[in-house]
Amino acid sequence: MRPSPGPALRHLPRALRGAQPASRAAPMALSTPAAQQHPQAPPRRTLTTTPAALHNPSPSSSSVNETEISHFSALASSWWDPHGPSRPLHLMNPLRHDFIQRCLTSSPIPGHTPSDGLRYLDVGCGGGIFAESAARLPSTVSVTAIDPSPTILTVARAHAKRDPALARTLTYRNETIESLPLPADPAERFDIVSVFEVVEHVDYPAAFLDRVGEFVKPGGWLVLSTIARTWVSWVTTNLVAEDLLGVVPKGTHDWYKYVNERELREYFGQKGGMWGEVKVMGVIFVPGLGWREVRGSEKVGNYFLGVQKAA
Amino acid sequence: MDLVLRGRAAYVCRSCTQRVQQQALQLRRRTFATSAAAQPDIYDVVCVGGGPAGLSLLTALRANPVTSHLRIALVEAQDLAKVRSWKLPPDRFSNRCSSLTPSSVQFLDQIGAWSHLERDRVQAYQEMQVWDGVTGARIEFDWAPGADPAAGTTIAYMNENLNLTSGLLKRLEELGGVSMFGNAKVESISYGEETEEVDLREWPVVHLAGGKQLSARLLVGADGANSPVRSFAGIEARGWDYNRHGVVATVELEGEGWGGDYTKIAYQRFLPTGPVAMLPLPGNYSTLVWSTTPGNASLLKSLSAKDFTAMVNAAFRLSPTDLEYMHKQESGQADEYSWRLEHTPFDSRAVPQTVTGVQEGTVASFPLKLRHADTYIGERVALVGDAAHTIHPLAGQGLNQGQGDVQSLAKTIEYAVSHGQDIGVAMSLEPYVSERYAANHLLLGVCDKLHKLYSVGSGPLVPLRSVGLSAVNALGPLKTFFMNQAAGNGIKVF
Repeated sequence: MRPSPGPALRHLPRALRGAQPASRAAPMALSTPAAQQHPQAPPRRTLTTTPAALHNPSPSSSSVNETEISHFSALASSWWDPHGPSRPLHLMNPLRHDFIQRCLTSSPIPGHTPSDGLRYLDVGCGGGIFAESAARLPSTVSVTAIDPSPTILTVARAHAKRDPALARTLTYRNETIESLPLPADPAERFDIVSVFEVVEHVDYPAAFLDRVGEFVKPGGWLVLSTIARTWVSWVTTNLVAEDLLGVVPKGTHDWYKYVNERELREYFGQKGGMWGEVKVMGVIFVPGLGWREVRGSEKVGNYFLGVQKAA
Repeated sequence: MDLVLRGRAAYVCRSCTQRVQQQALQLRRRTFATSAAAQPDIYDVVCVGGGPAGLSLLTALRANPVTSHLRIALVEAQDLAKVRSWKLPPDRFSNRCSSLTPSSVQFLDQIGAWSHLERDRVQAYQEMQVWDGVTGARIEFDWAPGADPAAGTTIAYMNENLNLTSGLLKRLEELGGVSMFGNAKVESISYGEETEEVDLREWPVVHLAGGKQLSARLLVGADGANSPVRSFAGIEARGWDYNRHGVVATVELEGEGWGGDYTKIAYQRFLPTGPVAMLPLPGNYSTLVWSTTPGNASLLKSLSAKDFTAMVNAAFRLSPTDLEYMHKQESGQADEYSWRLEHTPFDSRAVPQTVTGVQEGTVASFPLKLRHADTYIGERVALVGDAAHTIHPLAGQGLNQGQGDVQSLAKTIEYAVSHGQDIGVAMSLEPYVSERYAANHLLLGVCDKLHKLYSVGSGPLVPLRSVGLSAVNALGPLKTFFMNQAAGNGIKVF
């Protein structure tokens, strides 16, 4: 259990505050009278790369939060049940491919031809919903899928065994992004690096994304999806989905760790031309219908974000 | 080798199949002394049943570049070579014909099959005459005077089922790439096994007579009303028998029809025993579908050509009482008909032209029933066509419903493939059920209610329903809806 941050924290400069593990902002924000008076302005989260050893008593050589791992490990057995708690993720999966296609169409990987095929790195693959589907595409050469939870990877590997077509392309590795060896030759890195529904579970998103970004080959795409930190997303993902309807397991989301699209835009913009234009797609879950793309909803709830690495 | 296959690698890639086959070889070698059990061949789609639905599905999958890399097998009990080389002289027609709606034809054209049919054996019709045999109330299904002829005035096309299956097989052969198992008997369907490398415990394995085994990512049941695939999947089909038989025959009329060769008319008269329909074929020929009691059906089949012809003419002209009497005669219907006709007033241009003969060996019958499967999908199983639903033939929708299923399932599979989904898992197949189930259920219900409404010979329903028919005739929009339904356009409304 981490020490609870005192109210004094709110007097810290904004950049430092952002460097805190996001979950600590919780009591602070809620106890601040100012925040209650301005419900439209949820606490800002600046993505910095300083994991703030000063403020964080636990050494952080990894982006991984142990509580998060044990939460998802507990869900492992139901990961592939299409009517189980992961159903919204299963339903979202086709949109991930649509979004990647949209990114690749808007700006293809330079020098890449369709016959080259694509090499994917899926970070935080979980039970392998996206990894399996990417591995099945005829245009895929390989998918490397990593997750820090060995329990979940056991489920992922057992499930992949059910489809003989996957052995050709799919490799699971029990690694964190920090422990995964980075190919020295940039050309050996990945065409597509995907980070789906992960950023909101990471303590230091900026440091995490710094490391993830290194695995994208020049001209390749980094694609991620996450949830904006707004009052709407608090109501939908925490209150309704987890507490009232129970369609998402309780404790899946820590609202204070959500990352806004603008924060990510700022983060990628500050990298000195390393990243190109940011593409986003907002999606909304309609019970009974599934996920629907809704323009502008990236500012409100779930959204995809893709960014191309400079060639 | 991966380099060669890359980009267009098969869904079940060749190297995996080879690996499994190598394992199989090793296994066979190892267990040679005790058993010769063959390992299954792995396919993405195994379709049991090579009728119109099954063949259309495979053709659609092969014709689409997104799904053309799938490994596909077809299992059919009949001799496929015979079906493909089916041929009849121009003045002979098979007695098993179906009405194809313009949307079915459009689909067949889209998958490149329509041009492979013998087109001069297909007959389009532009009008329908439907009337109540008890009260005489009538609906005329023709096009409004303002209808745009360029938009097409064809209600549907009459076509021999064999012309369709033969054309589909020719197209499928042109496309290639399907493992065809003709003359093949399905002995059993089981589940696969788990080995060190793969876990196929949820994959259906089709065992053919002779020991061949086909392992299916997706097993398609296009295997008819008594679908073994449906039984394997544990899906119930519910419904009832109508206690009616459909008597079919190819008949010759005195001419090309009242509208000549350019405006062909379909006729249907609702008798208390069931509807009798005369549907135009090319030239002077028509196909008969007469729904009646099993007793009447067996009498009709036993009659001489001359008496049978008289009964068909009587069915469109005489009163239900006359018909009932004639069904009690063992023979001599021809004389009885000519005598009774003199005393029956009718408008000869409102009924089909006189039947002059019946083609030998074409009188046959089959029991009519309504069935609807509880669902069309299971884990690694999908049902299409009659395996999913059996409908009363009065609206000519059976085959078209199957084509609608196939079009929807092919689209569902295309979406799944292009999004990396496993095409066999129920979750990938869900859109197919949600698109088709309600639409099919509605049509099954409408045809069922129509049959029941008109199967009553007397009582309070009779005057009510004639008001209904006349009212339908007077109400333009409702008639348009019925016509669109008949032409298969209306289904999309739901």
